[in-house]
Amino acid sequence: MTTDNSKLVEATRGLRGITFPRVSLYGFLVLSVVSWAYIIFGVDSGLGDLFTGRSWSNAGHFFSQLLGLEGGLTGGGRPAFFDLGRWGETGKLAYKTLMMSVLAIGLAGFGVLVTFLPAARNVSNGELGGSPSLALGVLYHVLRLFFAFTRAVPELIWAMVIVFFLSPGILPGAIALGLHNYGIVGKLSAEVVENMDPGPARALRSAGAGNIQMLAYGIIPQAMPHFLTYLLYRWEVVIRTTVVVGFVSAGGLGQEFRLNLSFFQYTDVFLIILWYLILVLAVDLLSAFLRRMVLVR
Amino acid sequence: MSQYQNSSNRATHDINHSRFLVDGRGLSKVFGTLTAVSPLDIAIKAGERVALVGPSGSGKSTILYILAGLIPPDSGDLFLDSKSTVGLQPGRELSESVGLIRQQLDLVPQLPVVQNVLAGRLGKWGLLRSLVSLFSARERDSVLATLSKLGIADKIDEPTSQLSGGEQQRVAIARLMLQAPKIILADEPVSSLDPARADEILRLLTGLADDIGGVMVASLHAPDLIREHFTRVIGLREGVLQFDIPSEELMPSVLEALYDLDQQPIPIS
Amino acid sequence: MTWTNSPFRSLDARRLLSLVLIGAFVWSLSSVDWRGGIVHTGGGDALKDFPLALFPPELSPGFLKLGLIASWQTVVHAVAGITLAIIIGLPLGIIASGSLGKPGRVRMLVAAVMRFILAFMRSIHELIWAVLFVAAFGLSSLAAVLAIAIPYAGILGRIYSELLNDVSEGPLDGLRSAGASPAGVLIYGRMPMVLTDLLSYGFYRFECAIRAAAIMSFVGIRGLGFEIQLSLHDLKFAEVWTLLLFLFGLVLLVDYWSTSVRRSLNS
Repeated sequence: MTTDNSKLVEATRGLRGITFPRVSLYGFLVLSVVSWAYIIFGVDSGLGDLFTGRSWSNAGHFFSQLLGLEGGLTGGGRPAFFDLGRWGETGKLAYKTLMMSVLAIGLAGFGVLVTFLPAARNVSNGELGGSPSLALGVLYHVLRLFFAFTRAVPELIWAMVIVFFLSPGILPGAIALGLHNYGIVGKLSAEVVENMDPGPARALRSAGAGNIQMLAYGIIPQAMPHFLTYLLYRWEVVIRTTVVVGFVSAGGLGQEFRLNLSFFQYTDVFLIILWYLILVLAVDLLSAFLRRMVLVR
Repeated sequence: MSQYQNSSNRATHDINHSRFLVDGRGLSKVFGTLTAVSPLDIAIKAGERVALVGPSGSGKSTILYILAGLIPPDSGDLFLDSKSTVGLQPGRELSESVGLIRQQLDLVPQLPVVQNVLAGRLGKWGLLRSLVSLFSARERDSVLATLSKLGIADKIDEPTSQLSGGEQQRVAIARLMLQAPKIILADEPVSSLDPARADEILRLLTGLADDIGGVMVASLHAPDLIREHFTRVIGLREGVLQFDIPSEELMPSVLEALYDLDQQPIPIS
Repeated sequence: MTWTNSPFRSLDARRLLSLVLIGAFVWSLSSVDWRGGIVHTGGGDALKDFPLALFPPELSPGFLKLGLIASWQTVVHAVAGITLAIIIGLPLGIIASGSLGKPGRVRMLVAAVMRFILAFMRSIHELIWAVLFVAAFGLSSLAAVLAIAIPYAGILGRIYSELLNDVSEGPLDGLRSAGASPAGVLIYGRMPMVLTDLLSYGFYRFECAIRAAAIMSFVGIRGLGFEIQLSLHDLKFAEVWTLLLFLFGLVLLVDYWSTSVRRSLNS
């Protein structure tokens, strides 16, 4: 019983006394009180509307229109999700959306594959072979900064910027998604190399391997399963975001979602949400299956 | 201290050193404030099998890593196979003379066995050949022949991570066989093995050294294994040479004294 | 031999998978419409001007002040969103963990239903929730906060339920033998044991919430995303860079904070 109690004490240890987590927790509480005050008393809080009842009846109308229970129907007065033709049309868009997510992961994966090695500290400083040089040191910091920056900017903002250059379609959206995920997977993959057991690489070196041979035989085979697993995990996230990026990059379900919403075709909106959920579920299952195939020991 | 040690200290080095496959003079290494190896002379002739003994922290591993070229010594000269190793990085040139096998084996777990064995060839292969081989293994026949000698030919295409500890040990030895260095270094090759397996592994390693006509240097602790498989024993404590004797002269009392924490004098005749 | 245990299969499978993934990528390239040219009219100039505008970004005091205000607005929505997510996610997570109530079928059923609800909440992206809420309730800060809170509560709820289930049973048995009810075991046993992990994970999600708040601009909520949109429309790329750097700095700051908190909690 004493050891059991000590476990309890142990678990809350970090929150006793004036510790950094404790100060942070109080700081965060203050920040959240201020934030809520700012939102509630702000000009556009919408809190007042919550109590008028009018906005609740609006919301009621909206959701029953979404489900085709009242008004706003296209065609023969049937909800879109009972119309096989509409399923087919939106199905094509769902396919495009899926392709956009695959393209995005492919672009991110390709980018990471060519840059993650010099972004690992133990590669750039020659711990795993090769000789450290100023150029490699600079490259390491530049890549790490680039990872952090591409990661910090959300996909949607990348998309807003990119549609300024590229023709609308699935490509700008895929590049936007690819950039953000490049930063995430790049950082993770570089860290895999940094945490790698140096033994095998050293053994290869003493068996006579040069730098590139050592990368090919020692480091890449060890990093590859992790890299593929990260890509598949990110694919699950990307498919959720693809629709959103489609809002601005005009590809796939996202664009249709916006159009239908602005034309008040709410049952079509609901149909698209259904497709979206199907995609999310399908990708989650597929990714889980594929991840089992690469299973990191 | 033994007179044997004194003889290896002085007399041998003024003669033509090419008789020695390993010839180190005044090798030393300091890590921070810790002296891993005090200036040490070590000369080993072809055909000799040398056991390094000593408590942990005595500098055995450091000496092996210096001989393997993985750690540059702070001072001293090292000739391997009559070639100076000053400024040599581990890699192509060194790999012809010297190969190291560690207790951890250091195989790449994700690669199939055949690739881990072929890694022993990397020093002789060009870049293109080694990259192509990753996708379609070159010299598969010689790998198969080597693995059959070790009794694990059927494992050639399995992922190395799926093999048992003993099988992985054979894969590491197979790699060393393909590398075929004149000087075989083994860092604790048989610790954590049962006696029968330890005996077999040492038989394989010494057999390999004999085939090539080279030397073997290994760190280990078991006196009976040392007497059976080695010709010479070097005792170390805190980086300082304690004795250097023929293995048949290794008495249990000598080892006990060497491992004794109170640092009793060592009863060498 | 089974599929997962067979070594031959697992190696072949990995190689096959790599080929399938590369194939899928090449296939996806074919669904890009290359005919119209990938850069649109005028896009080429923008493509050149945009990177150059970083040197230097817009650094006038007035604009920096605007950037600070926008950052503050983004932080406010993120903080409100994540706190609401914790408030919603914690009870849902407790229910989904099945550690409340009498053991039995009912409890398992309720937990399963709750896990499904949590999965649904996090399946829908925060911006889609935002679009729906704005369509339903009209544009307001609360709609944005709610839109962040719902999917994040789905994520937090799932993680919290897993954390609560993974605690070691020893101390709990001690409490049970002392006569504690399931609620007592939860409050005096499970919760204290996972408290630091709960906080730690909440802090981790805070960084993601910053990004979520920034894109709420899309439905008209003010903040960094909103200002980026405005500057882009005015083709003021130097201003866009300044705002992107503000966002970068903000994410780095929160990331640093949350990493330090988690490190000192877990050490």
